[in-house]
Amino acid sequence: MGSYVIRRLGQMVVVLFGATVVLFACLFVLPGDPVGSLGGDKARDPAVVAELRERYGLNDPLPVQYGNFVKNLAKGDLGEDYTQRRPVTEILAPKLTNTAKLAVAAIVIDIAIGLLAGMIAALFRYSFWDVLITLLTTMAVGFPSFVIGLVLLSTFSVKLAWFPVIADGSFQSMILPAFTLAILDAALVARLMRGTMLEVLKADYVKTAVAKGLPRRTVLFKHVMRNSIIPVVTYLGISFGSLLGGALITEAIFNWDGIGLALVLAIQQQNNPIIIGVVSFGVAVFVVLNLIVDLLYAVLDPRIRLA
Amino acid sequence: MRGAKSAKWVAGAIVVALAATACGGGNDKGDSAKGGVFRMGITEPTAIDPFNAQESEGSLVAHNLFTGLYKVEPNGKLIPALAESATTSDDGKTWTFKIKAGTKFSNGEPVDAEAFVRAWTRVADKKSASDVAYHMAGIEGYEDLNSGKSDKFAGVKAVDANTLEVKLSAADFEFDKKTVHTVFAPVPKVAGAADNKAYNDQPIGNGPFKMEGAWEHNKKITLVRNDDYGFEKAKLAKVEITILNPNNTSTLEYQGFQAGTFDWARMPTPQLPVAKQKYAPKNQWVEADTSGINYLVAFNQNAPLNSPDARKAISYAIDREAIAKGVFQGMQKPASSVLPPSFADVYQEGVCTTCVKQDVAKAKELAEKSGLKPGTVLDFGYNTGSGHEEWVQAVAQQLKDVLGLEVKLNGKPFKEALSEQKDKKTAGLWRSAWGADYPTADNFLFPLLATGSINEDPATGAAQGDNRGRYSNPEFDKLLDQARATKDAAARAALYKQAEKLAVDTEQGLIPLWKRTQYRLANTAKFDNVKMDFFEDPNLAEISAK
Repeated sequence: MGSYVIRRLGQMVVVLFGATVVLFACLFVLPGDPVGSLGGDKARDPAVVAELRERYGLNDPLPVQYGNFVKNLAKGDLGEDYTQRRPVTEILAPKLTNTAKLAVAAIVIDIAIGLLAGMIAALFRYSFWDVLITLLTTMAVGFPSFVIGLVLLSTFSVKLAWFPVIADGSFQSMILPAFTLAILDAALVARLMRGTMLEVLKADYVKTAVAKGLPRRTVLFKHVMRNSIIPVVTYLGISFGSLLGGALITEAIFNWDGIGLALVLAIQQQNNPIIIGVVSFGVAVFVVLNLIVDLLYAVLDPRIRLA
Repeated sequence: MRGAKSAKWVAGAIVVALAATACGGGNDKGDSAKGGVFRMGITEPTAIDPFNAQESEGSLVAHNLFTGLYKVEPNGKLIPALAESATTSDDGKTWTFKIKAGTKFSNGEPVDAEAFVRAWTRVADKKSASDVAYHMAGIEGYEDLNSGKSDKFAGVKAVDANTLEVKLSAADFEFDKKTVHTVFAPVPKVAGAADNKAYNDQPIGNGPFKMEGAWEHNKKITLVRNDDYGFEKAKLAKVEITILNPNNTSTLEYQGFQAGTFDWARMPTPQLPVAKQKYAPKNQWVEADTSGINYLVAFNQNAPLNSPDARKAISYAIDREAIAKGVFQGMQKPASSVLPPSFADVYQEGVCTTCVKQDVAKAKELAEKSGLKPGTVLDFGYNTGSGHEEWVQAVAQQLKDVLGLEVKLNGKPFKEALSEQKDKKTAGLWRSAWGADYPTADNFLFPLLATGSINEDPATGAAQGDNRGRYSNPEFDKLLDQARATKDAAARAALYKQAEKLAVDTEQGLIPLWKRTQYRLANTAKFDNVKMDFFEDPNLAEISAK
């Protein structure tokens, strides 16, 4: 197990290397000068462009620029952004924290609602509750998140004033965006849970467990739950990864200062240090999450051997 | 950590409670003496340190932290601030400002002539790489300092503690007006070099307000009244500026205003008519034609728009009135000049003859004369994602209908749009807009139309200046030179008017479309004297709580 983890972490370094090389190559071929214009609608003074190109080593050949990037990265330095000229790590740290906070809140809501709804639907198949859950999850999957977000915001913040209109990072201002993010995933989790659980309920070992007279609760939690949750864990791992990549629309609607918007703006402005910072982080997170999911399999199902 | 958070909550609750009581009692004298809290939203500024404050959000903060030689009224009129007097040599090259004695920065350092020398040198220094340093390019010694040949600003001198002498490399009798830009603000010794991060985030100034704590990036900036201000003190106790998500700012501001979170707000364009209906009767609607222009760049040096007649045909073919009503629902007003109505001394309504009214017959006649035949391909570029799509399509349709042109719309994200506009081969039209940095006619006519503002890069042929339509006429350039060197204000205004008539009417170097009209919501139920200033921001220093 230990050597497995170490080997996977080693793979991560390789993946990161590949991703940043591809990224550098892509950014290099983009048209336009990354330091050539101001944030707004104006071209930059040519003298300033020259000074900044010099300062940020943009006149060096690409391999040299990449070498410098790796050297600085080893020191934990991602460079300075081209607009405000502040350290990228300083700019991104609070945004990453915000995104992580929102992602955790969303995934918790997601698991709670999704698993519960899925279980109810499976256990009471074709009942009123099953039909209702199927209906609601279909609707949730169908509505785009900006509609859900705007409806929640105008109802609970603007009209009822239960939550702040302009998020300030507090717990209270996190609830609506977390719900907005969680609704779609919760619906998918519920459907997945219902499907796999129905399969498992029909399995021979469950019949055996019931036949040998085990209490219903033991059958449910020890045999049914544990076996039906594996696909759900896979799904949640991926979904948590994309939540950590930021949620542009939800962030914009609720004024949540996260990583999604930072990336979009950086791409629009060709603010390369920010793009590189966010993408490298995203890749690392994805690799780590996948590792955690794989480890979880082994915990949930001892038949799975990691080697 | 948890403790700190909840303390913040309590503090927040107290502020809310205070604001609520201030709002509740209109006749409560005790609270209005304290001043009240004004709340608004902006997007994250590039900088609030005057060396690099540039867009309206950064200038809003810098203007309230610093007071320079002059201030400006919304109508472009100059009001002396630190400059008690200014004398100009007859050749218009030497300016001598008498600085008001005895005022201080909020850390106690004196605001003297040296503070200006220090500040301006800091801005123009090569190492500062300031995006707004070019405003000082007319001062002697700028080149040397900006290229690193010198570390002194040769043209700026403190003759004594209260006398600042500025030498210009060419005559400019309106140099004083330029100093309303925050880049000309004085700074104290603690400012240090431009890369002093501590000062960048918490500038110490001499303005009506000072910072409360440092700038919390992407979160907020809090200003409090400067009780040692050297001029008439602000009445507000505090200004809370929330930094909003730039993808959604106007919506968030508008929602915030409706929910009572903000006292000042912009609105998304489609919501303007509804908002006006709701808030105008309550006297909370602020509206002004500000110092800017929306126009079409016409590429003067490439076919098909390389003759005045062709450009006039385009201008005549556009029904500005119809688009203003149909697309903008009356929220934009047709323009018939480049210089805005807020510059009363030079404004000439209708100077652009072709702009006044759509004239199909004349458009066709001029098109015929200039070889702009039906079926001619006309490129029409614009930057995407800024809400221009709808009206650009309407203009294109009118050009098709009236002149039978084959209009090719070309929408590009801003960076790419910019490099295409600069390209030597680009032809046809491009949508554009310009806003004034300071209240001078020169600030429109020189950058947009002078030959010197093409500034072609010899290597690539790209136009590096703002005159991307590449209009060029030596006679026009001469008129501007003459105007700058004319001491008498009325005679100078006459020359600028003449120059505008030549470039915009006779030769149609560019095509004016709409005035710059701005709309805001202001909480007049809680505050008195809320107005939009020259820079389209609220006049924080003059607002008072009811």
